[in-house]
Amino acid sequence: MRKKRWVPWLLIGPALLVIILTTIYPLLAALYYSFHKYNLRRAPQFAIQLGESGIHIDWSLLSLENYTRAFSDSRFINSLEVTFWFTVFSVGLSVVIGLFIAVIVQKGGWLHTLTKVLLIFPFAVSPALKGYSWRFMLNENYGIYDLLIDSLLVKPLNALLSLLNALPLVEIPYISESIVWLGDKFWALFMLAMSETWGWAPLIALMFVGALGSIDEQIFEAARIDGANRVQIFFRVTLPLLRPVILIVTMLKTIFSLKMFDQVVTMTGGGPVRATQTINYYIHQMGFVRSLDIGYASAMSYILVIVLTICAALYVALVLNRD
Amino acid sequence: MTKSLSLAKMLETAALLLIIFFIVLPIVWLALTSIKPQEKAYTTDIVFTPTADNFRIIFSDTSVIINAGTERERGEVGRNMLPSVLNSVVVSGATILIAIPLATIAAYAFSRYLFLGNRALLIWILTTQFIPAIVVAIPFFTLFRSIEIFERPLLGTQLGLIIVNMSIVLPYAIWMIKGFVDALPGEIEEAAYVDGCNDFQVLFFISLPLIRPGILVASVFAFIMSWNEFLFALIIGREMRTMQVALMTTSGARGIMWEQMAAAGLVVMLPIFFLAMFIRKNVVYGLTMGAVK
Repeated sequence: MRKKRWVPWLLIGPALLVIILTTIYPLLAALYYSFHKYNLRRAPQFAIQLGESGIHIDWSLLSLENYTRAFSDSRFINSLEVTFWFTVFSVGLSVVIGLFIAVIVQKGGWLHTLTKVLLIFPFAVSPALKGYSWRFMLNENYGIYDLLIDSLLVKPLNALLSLLNALPLVEIPYISESIVWLGDKFWALFMLAMSETWGWAPLIALMFVGALGSIDEQIFEAARIDGANRVQIFFRVTLPLLRPVILIVTMLKTIFSLKMFDQVVTMTGGGPVRATQTINYYIHQMGFVRSLDIGYASAMSYILVIVLTICAALYVALVLNRD
Repeated sequence: MTKSLSLAKMLETAALLLIIFFIVLPIVWLALTSIKPQEKAYTTDIVFTPTADNFRIIFSDTSVIINAGTERERGEVGRNMLPSVLNSVVVSGATILIAIPLATIAAYAFSRYLFLGNRALLIWILTTQFIPAIVVAIPFFTLFRSIEIFERPLLGTQLGLIIVNMSIVLPYAIWMIKGFVDALPGEIEEAAYVDGCNDFQVLFFISLPLIRPGILVASVFAFIMSWNEFLFALIIGREMRTMQVALMTTSGARGIMWEQMAAAGLVVMLPIFFLAMFIRKNVVYGLTMGAVK
């Protein structure tokens, strides 16, 4: 081997330089900003000043004010709650539905194969477009989803309720057929999570299909011979074998969900009444739209960075453990 | 026994049809709406005479379009989408033209050389993809406001957006291409070293041609990432609208003009749709960086 020791550094150097400039620089700069009063409407005063006598640090300009402000800002607390529930709904639904799809399409005839091919479709739709199309389809006057939900779910349920109410027991209130999906605090958040699920459940299904394919067929065969039915096989064999993959996928999707931004802008605009303002959306509002408070926006995004760092560490540990 | 089996089969088929229906519905609905005449766009009718008007409107400069003797109002802020299509093409194209060569040689080095900190650096690069985009956008926003190129601030230019795009595309491409290099057996390279090739001859004449398919797949992924990117495009790209941001300009005095939105949406989606078909087999690998095999 005539491999030279300096060669790898020459090959990695350019990429490393660009990554440092585009990730380390902003991480450090945002941290620095977060300790300052820094609003774009006023000229900022930074602690580190370059004077005639060299670098001078004015400690009095640094403060934790932006951080303490965040935790007493009810709108920021609200964005934490919204992000939490959005993550719970979207991760839970995506993983469960993805698993369901994977188990169904894994083996079988042409319809199974066709479905597997179609699973890639939502990947082609950008998050911003996803948000717009869902907003259009959920419209209470001309949305196709609204029509489907009313005619396939609400009407049959109400018919069932009218039968029950005919009995002289308790009076159960009927479900409204005119819910404005994106105008209701709960439903808006739920539908935001559903749009995310539409995009991710098929992709997560594809991940599980791959993982299922690598499990030795003889294991399922042995379970069948022992007399296990499909439900038993799923809970006693498939699920335990998929556990490591399910954990990795759940962690990955959690990280993506915590960063939710695009669809909030295009689908709900954070509303109704802040019910769908995720952390990212609120930071964007405070930093670039409502006020131009870069210091405060930096502090809040650092809180998000800390949460994501913990998740990323867990994710890396899960992935490395598996190898 | 056979009876319950066939019932299970029927349930399975029903479930499959339901899955297909819900996956395809939003895409089909968008496509249908894009060719609906305006008066039908705000209904759930599926019987109508298809029209190309919506596409003509989003690619025209005039604010009023005359069609079959009827005057049609366009969205108040509606504007020609063609510059936005070009912006998206230029930004995504330039992003991969810069990122892919850098990522390729770095990935090759990570895969083929053992050097101090190799693994730690790789894992660090993996974790950079978990940095929220907003924390990258904030300092670059303030920086690009003050940097001027050709007497124009870098904020709101294609170049500015290309630079911040590197933060998401480059780490991703390194990991992806490294996977393809790892999969390549090293014997051919060994033989080339024995025959007297130096490190660079081996890299450029032996290994690169062999991983070309992998580089192509990574390029397609990187293109899709920057094409669909929204947060940077909104904060750093600003008035230089990429297609994702231009979708917003279909709103006018009467709210969003859905038939125009759908047409613009189709323009955004179709190229990615074909690219996605092309990398179908690699999507799982690409999304999880090989963490799920």
